[in-house]
Amino acid sequence: MPAFTEPLIKGFQKSIALLWLLIKIIVPVSCLVALLDFYGIVDRIATIFTPAMSLFGLPGEAAISLLLGFLVNIYAAMGAITAITLTPQQITILAVIIGICHELPVETIICRYTGLRIPVSIALRLTTAVAAGIMLNLIYTLVLGG
Amino acid sequence: MEIINLIFNTALETLLSIGKIALILIPVLMVIELAKYYKVIERFTGKMKGFLSFLTLPEEAAFPLLAGIFFGIVLGSALIIDYAREGILKKRDLLLIGIFLSISHSVVEDTFIFAVFGANPAVLIITRTILAIIITRAAAWLFDLFSVHKAAATAKKDKAIEAVRKL
Repeated sequence: MPAFTEPLIKGFQKSIALLWLLIKIIVPVSCLVALLDFYGIVDRIATIFTPAMSLFGLPGEAAISLLLGFLVNIYAAMGAITAITLTPQQITILAVIIGICHELPVETIICRYTGLRIPVSIALRLTTAVAAGIMLNLIYTLVLGG
Repeated sequence: MEIINLIFNTALETLLSIGKIALILIPVLMVIELAKYYKVIERFTGKMKGFLSFLTLPEEAAFPLLAGIFFGIVLGSALIIDYAREGILKKRDLLLIGIFLSISHSVVEDTFIFAVFGANPAVLIITRTILAIIITRAAAWLFDLFSVHKAAATAKKDKAIEAVRKL
């Protein structure tokens, strides 16, 4: 057996474990969001967040995905994305925001080991993510003409 | 009945999109493991002098930084803990690596997953990397400014004590 099969098998096993994790998180979250939508709760949340989300050029419903991303992880945010309709541009903006700022309860603790204090880490990532979202939306609307 | 149908359909659709993710995720993770096995990152650490000197980081920072960027924050931080224990990196450098990695980590995996859902992968990687570089550089500048002031203040105090002693 050649030497490179070992990392290949390890990568395969890891991806299966990650996919199982994805199924466990994304499926229930998207079903829950679909249920919330059915009972009109998504609309209510959307109305509250529409002004804030318009800063990023996103619909109010996207707030659910952002909150899930910040507090749980990227995969939960993905589950919420599957339940709403977005343009590729909006998905990109959402992905940049969540890419910068996600899984705060877990990752800020991990980052603590580098000497980065938890409140500093949260503030840093939130402001960076919000700034990036606003900036990208401006670039998309002003430079690329929507 | 309507609700059961709704849940069933949503679950099915979601499983289908996870299937799409699988097609990309499996090869990506296999390549990442291969890269770890063949120590690809070690080969790049020597070629990052310009990038590191812009961030005012020493050469030793290359490995934990690259590992965090490509393989994830958990591995990056684990290496950082090791480096801290062995005293290879200064406290200031550890903090700067932490700042960089908290904004930009596991860029390969995250970007691929977002791309499956229709996000533009180039925009994602470029935005995160540029922001991480700018913020880390700014933090380095602030940190050094602060410590220069502190050092100057201590030196002044020492001088004053010396002067008092001479009297």
